[in-house]
Amino acid sequence: MRSASGVASLAGAAVIWVALLGPVITLLAHLSWPQVSAALSVPGALDPLVVSVESGAITLGVLLVLGTPLAWTLARGSLPFPRFWEAGVLCSLLLPPLVIGLLLIFMVGPYTPIGELLGHVHLSATNTFLALVIAEVYESAPYYVLGAQAAFAAVEPAIEEQAALLGDRPSRVARRVTLPLAAPGLAMALAVAWARAMGAFGAVVIIAYHPFGIPLQIWTTLQETGLPTALPFALVLLVVALPLPLAAYIWSARARGRRRG
Amino acid sequence: MLEADVEVDRREFRLSAAIGVAAGERLALFGPSGAGKTTILEAIAGLVQPRRGTVVLNGRVLTRTAAPRRQVPPWQRRVGLLRQDPALFPHLSVRQNLAYAPAPGTGREEIARIAERLGLRGMLDDRPARLSGGQAHRVALGRLLASRCDALLLDEPYTGLDSGLRRDLTELVRELVAARQVPSVLVAHELEAAQAFADRMAVLDRGEILQLASPAEVVAAPAARRVAELVGYRSFVSLPGTGVAGVHPDRVVAGRQPGRGVVLAGPVRSCRPSGAGWEASVEAAGTLVPVRLPEPPEPAAGEQDFVFTVLDPPCFGPDGLRVSRPEEVPT
Repeated sequence: MRSASGVASLAGAAVIWVALLGPVITLLAHLSWPQVSAALSVPGALDPLVVSVESGAITLGVLLVLGTPLAWTLARGSLPFPRFWEAGVLCSLLLPPLVIGLLLIFMVGPYTPIGELLGHVHLSATNTFLALVIAEVYESAPYYVLGAQAAFAAVEPAIEEQAALLGDRPSRVARRVTLPLAAPGLAMALAVAWARAMGAFGAVVIIAYHPFGIPLQIWTTLQETGLPTALPFALVLLVVALPLPLAAYIWSARARGRRRG
Repeated sequence: MLEADVEVDRREFRLSAAIGVAAGERLALFGPSGAGKTTILEAIAGLVQPRRGTVVLNGRVLTRTAAPRRQVPPWQRRVGLLRQDPALFPHLSVRQNLAYAPAPGTGREEIARIAERLGLRGMLDDRPARLSGGQAHRVALGRLLASRCDALLLDEPYTGLDSGLRRDLTELVRELVAARQVPSVLVAHELEAAQAFADRMAVLDRGEILQLASPAEVVAAPAARRVAELVGYRSFVSLPGTGVAGVHPDRVVAGRQPGRGVVLAGPVRSCRPSGAGWEASVEAAGTLVPVRLPEPPEPAAGEQDFVFTVLDPPCFGPDGLRVSRPEEVPT
């Protein structure tokens, strides 16, 4: 028999849950399948999807290579002034994406030292695929680094110490103990970063208007032909962005469950 | 043979200790929390770098701060360390934990034999989360046995387990140390745990070894008043001309037996049941003396005071060091 407060908290949770899912429910309710098929069968309609998936995949690669060691050192507290480093990561999380885009223009635009350096190797960090990747990295990096930091911090140092005493050098401890134990958390962090990269808009619209990814496709379709024609592309974005986080969530929940017995 | 002579700077004091443990020997480092016991183990295991000292295991120099300097990393030391947290690998099965770092020549059959010996046969495919505390400690011990481990360090591993389990695990470790002939060091802050395990006991306080002797000798003849306090002497009575005598509540018998120690007498101030006997507080020689006796203390017929004999009490001079006791002391 549930108490009155139990019923109230269940009802409250249900209301919030439905409200949070509301946009997704609304999207599905307003889509007509003929319209979806018509919108997606236009020649070139799926090109932004390819651009988004390619740039998202490269973004994840960059985050894995650069973000993982940073997350590791932050988690182990091995850097001097750890709060200073954390503040740097938080900074890109707290800055509005639009502002990040503006500032990136001043940082890597064509008339900046970095922009000129890129120009020497015939690259440009504005309105190019490179610019899109840079904007996505800036928008998704803090989500990955902070998530990965939490995943590494959750690995008990005593377990790593025991592996070392049993004869494993640090690189082997990382491979056999730390990474497998942090993997569910790392997967979640990566999946969240993927979703952020797929949906990156604020910085992208400033620094990488071309080539189009899906968010810009939705925006321009909305501007040019109105709400109903933009909805199918919103569905495409959800279908591409959400499965990885959901799969990562289910996998990490199962992995954690097995470890808890 | 394990030899360690190390100095480590702690926040409150400088730890300075030298121990030698022969193959198959069991040494207990006994002392209060924060005395530096664990630091000694960590220096042996290579987890702490001493400011000065040497650690030598079976002739291999693991640490030497004098030239030529040497600090072998923990993963090359072949030193096993068991702590209170068994630190099993939660993502691996019991079998994979046991076979995590097998010594050369340790195959599946040897792992199965170790599991059998430790009573783990039925749970080899389980994850550590499904094990009880005692089982987890058995797996941690088995993992060390299967690995190449030339010395066994135990850092209060069985604290928090129930007493029956502790007894069984301690007995198991004793057998294994004897069978493998490895030097072993136990850190304990409970006297009973140290006594149950060790051949020899080092009493440590604030980074200094105060006495190194057999467990029986440390209790019967503490080298200093501080050692006496640490091993359970709870009151000290003045003996004219010699200093003070230590009274251990368990080393007391009722009645006047001057041939066996110092006779004291006084009124009983409190008395309550304690285990199978009684714990009383007797006011004698100007202080309250706690005693544990099989029966409630009663004054003899016609006397007001309860008379008891402190068996062969150690005496300490003004400097706190033990001095010999005069044959008879008036009370």
